[in-house]
Amino acid sequence: VNPARVRVVGCGNPEAGDDAVGLIAVREARPALEAMPQVDVVEIGAGLRIVDLLLVDAAAVVVVDAVRTPRGARSPGTIVRVEVGEGDPVPEPDPSLSSHGFAITDALGLAAALGEAPRVVLLGVEVEDVTAGHPLSRPVAASLPDLIAAVVREAERLLRP
Amino acid sequence: VTQRQVEVPVIARVEGEGALHITAKDGEILDLRLEIYEPPRFFEAFLQGRNFSEVPDIVPRICGICPVAYQMSAIRGLERLFEVQVPEGTHELRRLLYCGEWIESHILHIFLLAAPDFLGYRSAIEMAKDHPDLVKKVLEIKRIGNDIMEKVGGREIHPVSPRVGGFSRAARKRELDPLLPRLEWALEQMPGIADFVATLPRPELPRETEMVGMVHPAEYAIVEGDLASTLGRRFTAAEFEQVSREIHVEHSNALHSVMADTETPYFTGPLARVNLNAHLLTPVAQECMRRAGLVVPQADPFFSMAARVAEAALAMEESVRLIRDYVPPEPSMAVVTPSAGRATWVTEAPRGSLYHRYDVAEDGTILEAKIVPPTSQNLRHMERDLREFLPGVLDRPDDELTRLCEMVVRNYDPCISCATHFLTLDIERV
Repeated sequence: VNPARVRVVGCGNPEAGDDAVGLIAVREARPALEAMPQVDVVEIGAGLRIVDLLLVDAAAVVVVDAVRTPRGARSPGTIVRVEVGEGDPVPEPDPSLSSHGFAITDALGLAAALGEAPRVVLLGVEVEDVTAGHPLSRPVAASLPDLIAAVVREAERLLRP
Repeated sequence: VTQRQVEVPVIARVEGEGALHITAKDGEILDLRLEIYEPPRFFEAFLQGRNFSEVPDIVPRICGICPVAYQMSAIRGLERLFEVQVPEGTHELRRLLYCGEWIESHILHIFLLAAPDFLGYRSAIEMAKDHPDLVKKVLEIKRIGNDIMEKVGGREIHPVSPRVGGFSRAARKRELDPLLPRLEWALEQMPGIADFVATLPRPELPRETEMVGMVHPAEYAIVEGDLASTLGRRFTAAEFEQVSREIHVEHSNALHSVMADTETPYFTGPLARVNLNAHLLTPVAQECMRRAGLVVPQADPFFSMAARVAEAALAMEESVRLIRDYVPPEPSMAVVTPSAGRATWVTEAPRGSLYHRYDVAEDGTILEAKIVPPTSQNLRHMERDLREFLPGVLDRPDDELTRLCEMVVRNYDPCISCATHFLTLDIERV
């Protein structure tokens, strides 16, 4: 974990269809992000590392991940933006957390409990297909350029004093 | 007639999926099943037909918390079969990598998984609200473990550098030295952490049992050594399958282990190791053990947390020593020529003894693999603990009874995903 004013975290499983979208977007945005001062770019899978990424040496964190709304309330490929603490609803942490997995909501809950939560923006893309071995679905692939642009824009906005 | 049923459909704060079903009548346990419904994972079958050199990349995928344990049991077993002389310094670098895994895993379990139980919190997040400074401290200590794994292994989860023969790249001294002041700071925190553990209200389950772990004449055994038990058994990894036998029970996708001769359960893990090796604990680890209230022999599983504190301190002291004295292996790995035969090895994963066996063809192809993780060795003992512990607490309200049952299971820091090759509680008081 490198100290940074803004940390951009791409989350996902590269081998599970649309679940890879956060990783791919951050990878594509990396050259533009790394050209900015004090931006740290990280790609992660599942696990506890998200806690460190939220708690260590960053004023703001952009988390880019695949999302799925219950009951198909959004159409696949829809880009979702949530700024934590700005009145946007973030689900409650799950008390049953596992020893190995740690959801973003748990990490945010822990950071908030410790009084150390940075500014956090969640950029998500509604998924269609997360089957192992599948490529990105057509609607998610179509929204990828917009997501990459949104990631870069978000980092630029958060870097402004 | 009071009949009670406890049902925990998904056990929280353990890795993997399991449930607990208990039926009790008039204070007597009629039925008790630790049901492991995590699906089988077939890793042993994936390994068949693979070249030996692929094993260190496949087996760590069994677990995101103890990947180093899987790599080390496999690598050391194959090296012994192939009669590889590893470059000087390799053993020390492997022990350092393993210490990083112990620090991370033990600290995570003590604070995020077990301590909330003892203090009556629903989760680590609730605990963090009341004890923010403590939680910040332990997260920093855990990070040091992760950083050791990253500096030595090339990646903080599923390290890439450990190979049969050594390391694909050996860490440089200047990469490791910055860890020293952080480790020294962490070590200064450990006696206070042991004091905190001593204050936790602890249930009791005193009884005799057999504990198994590795022993070594000169060091607290982690990667090198033979196996021993608190009832006086002594055996090598090559003899493991004669001493410990796996049996299938209908309610579990994980096999149960018993002693082959007596068919009795045994347990492995931090408390077993401390019982067998307390005299080899390093000074701060000794102090932590004393301050946490642990005196050996001690078979009460609720002392597992105290054992973890002592071992976390040991891993830090060992890391300091290993980094100070570090001379990078040169070359970083030996040339390996495969040969046919059977490779066996045991190392001490954070959760206990991890056995690997590989039957290998002349060209280094894996013909058959067998992996016995600590959690599957402990499963039967967890059921035994529950049978012995429950009669004394059956009068408690449902939510407390459930929490107590989960604490019994969580003492073992079970990794069900590893073992299917764990808990939702379901107590029926008929």
